[in-house]
Order: sequence, then C-alpha cells, then structure tokens
Amino acid sequence: MGARTSRPAPIATGAVNLLFAAPALLLFGMFVLLPLATSLYYAFTSWNGFTQPEWIGLSNFRRAAADPVHLRAYLHVTIYILGTLVLEVGFGLLMAVLLNSQRRGFGLMRGFFFSPMVLSMTAAGLLWTFVLDYRSGLINSVLRGFGLDDWAQPWLSQPGTALGAIVLVSGWRFAGFYMIIFFAALRRIPRSVYEAATLDGAGPVRQFFTITLPMLRRQTLTCVLLAVTGGFAGFDLFFAMTNGGPFNATEVPATWIIKQGFDNNQLGYATALTVILAVVVMVVSLIYLRMSERVDAVRY
Amino acid sequence: MRLHMTTTSVLAVLATAGFATIAAAQTEVRFTHAMTGGSNRAALDEIIANFEAANPGITINQIVFDDDIYQDTGLITQLQSNEVPDIYFQWAGFPLSRDVEAGFAADISAEMGAGWSDRFIESAFTDGAGTTVNGAIHMVPLSLDVTNTIWYNVDIFEEYGLTPPETWEEFKAVITTLAENGETPIVTGNNEFWPLGNWASHIAARVVPADQFDAALRQEMTFAEAGFLRPLELLEELHEIGAFNRDMQGLGADPGMATFFQGAAVMHPIGSWLVGLAADLADDDFRYSQFDTPVIDPDAEAPQSVIGVTTGLVVHAQAPNREAAITFLDFLTTPESQVLWAEGGSLSPVEGVTDMAEMDPQMESMAEMLGNADAMVPPPDTTYPLAVAEAWYQAAAFVASGERSPEDALDWLDTTVAALN
Amino acid sequence: MPSVTDRRSPGEWVQFAVGGLIVAAMFYPTVWMVLSAFKTNREIFRDPFGLPDQWLWGNFAEAWTEGRLGSLYLNSIIVTASAVTISVFFATAAAFAFSRLEFPFRRTLHRLMLIGLLLPPPVVAIPLFSILRDLDLLNTRWALILPGAAWSLSLTVFIMYGYFQQVRTDMEEAAMLEGANTWQIFRDISLPMVWPSMLTMAIVNTINIWNELMFALLFIVEEEKQTLPVGLIRFFGRYSTDYSMVFAALTITTLPILALYFLLQRHVIAGLSATAMD
Repeated sequence: MGARTSRPAPIATGAVNLLFAAPALLLFGMFVLLPLATSLYYAFTSWNGFTQPEWIGLSNFRRAAADPVHLRAYLHVTIYILGTLVLEVGFGLLMAVLLNSQRRGFGLMRGFFFSPMVLSMTAAGLLWTFVLDYRSGLINSVLRGFGLDDWAQPWLSQPGTALGAIVLVSGWRFAGFYMIIFFAALRRIPRSVYEAATLDGAGPVRQFFTITLPMLRRQTLTCVLLAVTGGFAGFDLFFAMTNGGPFNATEVPATWIIKQGFDNNQLGYATALTVILAVVVMVVSLIYLRMSERVDAVRY
Repeated sequence: MRLHMTTTSVLAVLATAGFATIAAAQTEVRFTHAMTGGSNRAALDEIIANFEAANPGITINQIVFDDDIYQDTGLITQLQSNEVPDIYFQWAGFPLSRDVEAGFAADISAEMGAGWSDRFIESAFTDGAGTTVNGAIHMVPLSLDVTNTIWYNVDIFEEYGLTPPETWEEFKAVITTLAENGETPIVTGNNEFWPLGNWASHIAARVVPADQFDAALRQEMTFAEAGFLRPLELLEELHEIGAFNRDMQGLGADPGMATFFQGAAVMHPIGSWLVGLAADLADDDFRYSQFDTPVIDPDAEAPQSVIGVTTGLVVHAQAPNREAAITFLDFLTTPESQVLWAEGGSLSPVEGVTDMAEMDPQMESMAEMLGNADAMVPPPDTTYPLAVAEAWYQAAAFVASGERSPEDALDWLDTTVAALN
Repeated sequence: MPSVTDRRSPGEWVQFAVGGLIVAAMFYPTVWMVLSAFKTNREIFRDPFGLPDQWLWGNFAEAWTEGRLGSLYLNSIIVTASAVTISVFFATAAAFAFSRLEFPFRRTLHRLMLIGLLLPPPVVAIPLFSILRDLDLLNTRWALILPGAAWSLSLTVFIMYGYFQQVRTDMEEAAMLEGANTWQIFRDISLPMVWPSMLTMAIVNTINIWNELMFALLFIVEEEKQTLPVGLIRFFGRYSTDYSMVFAALTITTLPILALYFLLQRHVIAGLSATAMD
C-alpha cells in the first residue's frame, strides 16, 4: 500500500503551513485520538457512566481474560473473518474471473452482482432475517417446496447455524466489492499473456493458477487486509440479525462491548474491552503488513 | 390532532378566563416509555390529550421506544444525557433501586405525602412492592402486571377437545396431543431470555421453597443447593415432548406473541400485557383465554403462587420540569384517568378503579387470579441483581431449547454466578 | 480482444449462463423484498414466491407515515451531506499540506492521521459517548456529523495524498514563481487538479456515513433526529410481526439508493475500487 513516488520539493516551508492540516487534525484529535486516549484511563476504572470513575487497576483486564463470552467473541470473529475470506474475497475473485468479458450483458451482471454493496448492513440484515426466518422465510420455503422439510432449520435461532448464516449474508453483501477490485486488476493483465499460455497448451484452470492468481497478488493482499480489519469492526449485521444470540453464539467483540457498556452499565469494563480490541486489531494488521511486505521482498 | 386540541383549549381559556396574554412559554415535559402501540397506548394518548386540554401551559412530549431497545440502550442513554427526560417508565424493584443508587430517580415522598398516596391500594408503597427505596417513594405505580400466565387458543383447544389443565400431568397430556397432531404446542420468543425466564421462575417458585429461591438469587446459596434442578427437569420434560417452537432462541418477544395470535402455535406463556396488544396483533374473531401454570406439587409451600410486578413512572432527579411532571403524574393517577387506563387493558393500582372500569374480561380474570393467589412472586429480573437473574434465565433457556441437560445447565449457572463476584 | 459482434463460443455461453444464474440468485432477495412489499401479511405467508394478487401501493404510504421515513431520510441527508463535505475538504487540505508543504512534525502528524485505517470505530464508542456528553452534543445531529467526518478522515487523507503524489507539481511551482501565496495555489491550482478524486472520496464516504449504525444508535435518542439505519431497526422492532410493513419500509429506504447506484454505477465502482487499489 501507499504511493511509491518520491516526494517532490515542498512548495512552502514553515510552521504556518500547519494551518492546512489543522482542521483535519483538530477534528481527528477530538473524535478519534482523544477518545482513544481517554479509554486508556477509563479502562482501569470502575465506572457506570454517571458517577465518578474509580481507579481499580488491572481488574477489568483480569476479568476480560476470564470472561468466557469475551474470549468466545474472538473465536467467533475469527471464524467470521475466515468465512468472509472465502465467501467475500474468494468468491469475489471467482466471480471477477467469471464475469470478465466484453460481451453484452456482462456489464449489467457485474452491476447487479455489486448492488447489495450499496444497501446498508442494517437493511441487508433485516432483509435476510426474513429470508432466513424459520416459518415463512425464503430459504425454508424453497426447501419445503422441494419436499426437504427436514432440511428447514431455524437458521438464526440455533447456536450451530447462526454464525454461518451471518457469514453467508456478509458474503452476499460484500462479494461484489471484492469482485470489482479484482475485476479492475484483471483488465490490466495483457491478453497476450493468456494467448501465449493457450499456445503452450495451458487450460483455463491452469491459467488461473499460473497467471491470474500471481498477477493479482497485490490486490489479494489488500483485500485480505480489508476483510480482516473490516471483520473486527463487524457490528451492524450482528446487531440487526441476532444481537449476539442465540446463547452468545454470534457474540463478537463489538456486540459484547456495547452490551457491557450500555445494557449492563459497566462502561469501565467495556472500555477495557475496547482497548483489548484496538490492540488486537493493530497487532494483527501490523503483523500482516510486515509479512506481506516480506512476500514482496522475496519475489522481487 | 394534539396540536389542534391544545390550540383550541388555549383559546377557550383565553375566552372564558379573559387572560390578557398567553402564558409566557409552553413547558414541555419529556416522557419516555416503551408503549409503542396497542390499547394501553391509545388510553395513554387519550389521558395526555385530556391533560393538555386541562393544562394549556404544559405539553407532554412522548419519547417512545420499542420494548427491547428501551431496556438495552434506549433508556440508559437518555438517563445519562444532558437532556434527561422528566419522566421515565421503569419496573419497580431492582431496576428502580439501581436508578436511585445511580442518582437518576427522584424522591417524591414529599409530593406523595400530601394525600396523593392515599389514592392507591394499600400495598402500593412498600419496599416489597419495589416502589420505595429505603422508605422513600421513588415511583408512581401505574400497572400491576402479572408477568406470566398461559394464554391459549380457544379454537384449537376445542378442535382437539382439550380443556385447561389443572395438574402438571394433564398439562403434559395436552402438549402431547397437540404435538402429535403437528401443532406447535407452546411458542415463546425468547431471544432476550426474559419471556421464558419469567415462566421458568414461576415454575421454580412452585417447587423451590421461598427462602431458598430467594437465597439462590441473592447469591447466598448455590442454585444446586437451593434445589433448582427440579424446575430445570420440568422444563426438560416439556422439551422432550416437543412443547416448544424450534426457533425460540432467535425469536423476539413480540414476534413470539404474533405467532400465537396468528394461530401458528397453541399456547403462549407471557404476561398480562398481551391483552393490551391483542387489538393490534390479533384478528377480531381470534378467541383466546388463559390459565395459570398448573399445580405441580400440591404439597409445596405455595402451589398457586402468581408471578407479577409493579411498573410505574419515575421522575428524573435532574428533571428540568419537575413541577409540571408531578402535575401530569397526579392527573394520570386520578380515578378518572385510571378508569381510561384500566379499560385500555391494565390492572390499575388506584383503589376502586378495577370495580369502576368496564374492563376486558381477560383483565377481569387476571384480577381474579391475583385475588386467589396464595403468594405473589416477583420476577427475578426486577428483584435480584440483574446478572444473576439473567444467568438463571439463560440456564432455563438452555434446557428448554435442548442445548444442555438440566445438570449441565445448573453447573453452568452456578459457575457463571460464582464468577460474577 | 474479439469484437462484440463475434459469435460467442459454447464456452462463452456457459460462462454467460453460469454467471447469469449466480447473479440472478443473488439478486432475488431484493426482488422478493419489493414484491412482498405489495402483498398482505397473509399472502406473504401463503404464497411467498408469486406476484401479489393485488398491488397494494397503500403499504408504502402507511410505512412512510408510520415509520416517519420522511424525517429519517431528511436526517440521513443532513448528516451525510455535512459529514461528507467536512471530511473531504478537511482531508484534501491536509493531504495537500502533507504532500506539498513542509512544517514541523509533518511526518509524525501524517502517520498519526492514518491510525484510523486500522482501527474499528467500536473501540471509541464509549469514551466518545462521554466526550459528546461533555460537549453537550449528544442527541444533536453534530453527534453524528463530527465523529462521522472524523472517522472518514484517515481513508480520505490516505487516498488524497496518493493522488497528490501522482499529480505533477509543475503548475503549482509556476504559480509559486508568479508570487501566488500558498492558499491561492491550493484554491486555484491544486483543488481543481484533484477535484475528480475528491468526488470519488465523496461517494465512498457517503456510502459509509449513510449506512452508519452504531454511533447513530448510541448518540441519538430522539426519534426526530434519528437516521435511516436506526429508524429501520426501530421500525423492525415495532412491526416485526407485520411483514408487509417492514418490506415496504425496506423497499422505500433501499430502492432509491439502488436506483441512484445504477445511475452512478461507474463512479461508485470507480470510487470503491480506488480505495482498495495500490
């Protein structure tokens, strides 16, 4: 990531130029950095949001380490992220290849395939709550229509299927986004490369693995990073569809934080959970960035 | 509509009393609650309209939330904001005492002392009713809710020749008949745990001695020691004969109730507020009735106990318009207003209203049930630390949905509660 | 590349059919939503797939008034337009400063601003709540506009900086030699140069802020100030049993956005893919 062009000579120098960055810095400082900094304080307190916070040292963190639902939330978000890597990034890549054609109709198909992306997660989540409904949902209606009554499940009501159902909806919404990214990159691969491979007797599958995939490496790395950081931020879909249930089976860090903070009035504890989340996301991303840079270094 | 009425009434006052100027500014009383619809809400709207007609200087601004959101984030974000509501809806008992402790709930003993409290039934203001905290009155009681009874679809019962069961065995026989005929015997929308949790507590209160029930929920004794295995086993019996809807843990409380009103399930254990919602959710020809949870153990301490709670309105301690808020609450609890309120489908805590009002027959039977009960058990989530109550509710849901055995659920419950300290 | 008029090979027909089938299956829930919005509740249960017996346009009018969708739309528009304008202009100015100017702590401040790329907003939800309370902004549209704009800055600065780095500095240098001051250069030369990418970022930020749920849920209490996502959740809570109402509300709130998307497809797609490239 990041533009690699070297920086031209500055137009002007001097502290006064800070003024151009000042509005953005102030806004950013006020609503991003300041809350981050204050959470470092609140995380060490017992605080219900109304009375004065009371310093309790590491208690919140000890509690977080022993909170089974909190720990499971990280398991769930990991499963969710792995699922989205398959259903969003992987599926998106396949669809980019499939829909990569100049023929009439393909542009329209790409447009339709992408369209769920402009719906809000909330609308998507609510719509899918109906699609997945046990009694009258679309999926169970189809299954019953084929006489597969036993296959009809209360998808969002069972711990065993709820998380999978959410991953599916997430895939539905985001696959188009990754498809478009891959598609834009595919268009830049010279056709001659494929033609040469065809002359060498390579079929479409081999071409995919020997040409397409390596050529899309950089986009793939970016997409994976987006899916991972986006996955940790996941809240809307979970809130709209299950709000962590049934039996915390779809609890992810964001839903658990909001529950602790606002349902249970334990803002100190919830803030400690946010600090943990921030650290986890930063560490995972930085490790990932470092690793992917090393991949670059090995190749070139 | 409301604006129109206010304007006309202002004009009327101007004309008759001959005021020179309109009262300086309208006082806006902010009132937040979770009555989104139904006949309760219609009654409330009517009372508010009457109030605004009688008090042209005051308007009531209702801030309404869906029930679940109200309890989750809706109320607490308001209580903590700079612009606090003057009046808010709350459950008596633990939620109220927590609000008092946090400094949200105003002490209204002084206002109540001046004859106002005499309007209410005798038991309205006690620590037991949960409307007072340390002897000070912090709530204007508005409804006595029976939080659990078993509603049933009369047509389907007749179709299979069933009658309301009186013993647990009869109850199971009814369920078995229904399940064998492909019906969903009991529907509960339990994604928030309290609908079934309330009923499970009712069942528990029938088989666990009162002091042990209390001790377990106060964390003075483990649930295992207190004898909570038995109620969990009873729930397991129900699960095993196919009593419950399969999607209970994904269904919200309201959709659960709607499933009952649509005839997609035969019985629905929930509180007295179902009556107030029937107007919105059920067809006019929908026939339903209720029976209390059948006697499980005739030799138990209180085999016919009823589970119920008082709900009411609280004045915020920082209410910007306290005086106007009190004026409104006073108006709301006059016998005249309460008759309207009771006819909307509530059990009024004001003396004599139940006799004066032309109440829904279902509410009459509910009032009768309260009269005949040998004990009144409060729902745990309004009486005991919320985290403990919710853990117990969740344990009940584990068993009823077949996720865990009673033993495992009990282990989980005691471990979870022990970790709370 | 074969021209469009060439006959398609069997392989291409298979590609077309498979692609079409997948796309149709994925678009079907949206169609189902729109069709169900015209039905009665009973009909949705009885015949979930068919066309409506009668097209009940009244469902939309009822959902519109019952759900106060008009006011939700208005609030979403106000919040989104303000936050997007603020974020794009502030970020462009900052990106200009970081790429064209020199001042103390430039590198540090630049890096600091990119923190938001890796942080999910839930991590500040709680302290932000108390900061907004202290500023007396809770329950006002500013509670969504300012944090919404602030959380869009990292990505916008990042992308705009990238564009500035790609654009040659010749014109700016020429203006400088003619004696223009920095502000004039920014306003008259640089802004017009990066204008297209500002539009791109405006689209991206619009999608993000328009759809934002968590802040909107926590920071706004009064119905009159709520935005669409929260309004939808509350509508669903209230009418969860009235399928046709919920479908009507969903249709009203999503169809215009979908239409707008199909109209601006090129720009939206260009915008969103730009955020992930390079």
